[in-house]
Amino acid sequence: MDHNWDFATIFTNWRVYWVGLQATLLMFGVTVTLGMLGGLLIGILRYIKHPAAAWPARAFVEVFRNTPVLVQIIWFYYAFPILTGVETSPFLAAVLGISLNTMAFSAEIYRAGIQSIDKGQWEAGKAIGMSFTQTLRRIILPVALKRVLPALTNRGIEVFKMSTLASIVAYNETLSQAKLIAELNYNPIESYTAVAIIFFVVLYPVVQGTYALERVLNRSDR
Amino acid sequence: MEWNFAPVIANLDILLLGLLNTLKVTGLALSLGVPLGLGLALMRLSQNRPISMISEFIIEFFRTTPPLVQLFWFFFAFPILFNINMTPYLAAVVTFSIQSSAFFAEIFRSGIQSIDHGQWEGSKAIGMTRNQSLRRVILPQAVKRMIPAFMERSIELLKTTTLVSTIAYTDLMYQANSVAQSTFRPLEVYSVIAAIYFILIFGFSQLSIVVEHRLAKSGEGTVN
Repeated sequence: MDHNWDFATIFTNWRVYWVGLQATLLMFGVTVTLGMLGGLLIGILRYIKHPAAAWPARAFVEVFRNTPVLVQIIWFYYAFPILTGVETSPFLAAVLGISLNTMAFSAEIYRAGIQSIDKGQWEAGKAIGMSFTQTLRRIILPVALKRVLPALTNRGIEVFKMSTLASIVAYNETLSQAKLIAELNYNPIESYTAVAIIFFVVLYPVVQGTYALERVLNRSDR
Repeated sequence: MEWNFAPVIANLDILLLGLLNTLKVTGLALSLGVPLGLGLALMRLSQNRPISMISEFIIEFFRTTPPLVQLFWFFFAFPILFNINMTPYLAAVVTFSIQSSAFFAEIFRSGIQSIDHGQWEGSKAIGMTRNQSLRRVILPQAVKRMIPAFMERSIELLKTTTLVSTIAYTDLMYQANSVAQSTFRPLEVYSVIAAIYFILIFGFSQLSIVVEHRLAKSGEGTVN
């Protein structure tokens, strides 16, 4: 191991990484928002078991949970435009793949949370004259969301890591930018080590935060 | 827009070879990742503070960095650093073994920690050493509780192996890319391989649900 570590080129090119990190954060922001909100809707549809909604919601969840995200992104990039005539940019293809995948996973989290609430809560809401949506919004969801918060944050961490897959369709997020630096400066060691460190530095505090959150939620009266 | 599956069927042997390679990498990474994960878990549970901290760092590092970054590191950086030859196959096996071992370690740890402390005391009382009680009393019970989490992680690993296509290992994803390029039929090719992955992974998921129900019936709790 006689390699001379030289991070100088990494520091002189910090702007390239900064552009990448911003793109990563944008990708994360869009996909996590769409995924978590869409997932809530599908999770509720899965819960109410309405005949018109049950089958499509189940099919959606199973398809997107049981195929690799990379296959989904590639499919949206190369196959979807042929099928629909709609051109997908690298950004759009990655957003579609990652958000739909996240929707499917978070839908199951929300559903489990709603199911964990005692049936008596629904009956009580009904007894004092609340409609289904009122009971759901005012009584069930506030408690259910608190219970599933740790599972949702874990999913969020996964989504952040998934954003690197956008590099495969040449979206300029952190990893593609590092690849560019590695090819221009012939320094793959420092350049890829830097990406690993960037992700570790961003996510490690978040992961520690989720541990703390879990402890707090366990202590509080659920 | 007309669907034409003939080019896909003509190249089915290429795709099946890819599927075989996908299963090979998954299987190998699993058989290396599980023992490695057990080792990391035991280190993390060790009374020795430095050993436990080293293991904690390894686990957290590989859980918080994206697998694709790890794969690129092991394929592009690692060979230069240690002056060895790295094939895409080797890089894939090394990366996914270590990456999944970090997750398996956490499953082992929560499994071991879920066993009542009285079990340790009981085996100590009849004269077993720490290692003996772990092997004979704790692990057999813990492993049973871990099975569902373990299966879920294996399914995740199978999905993650698609990343090896980016360093030109001939897995199902990579073979699909080359067939799509040579036949100019990306829609059919990518839809077919999505279906292949779906059947495979859905099958495994259903199997794990059946196993989980069986375990629940036999009166054992599970850990996540």
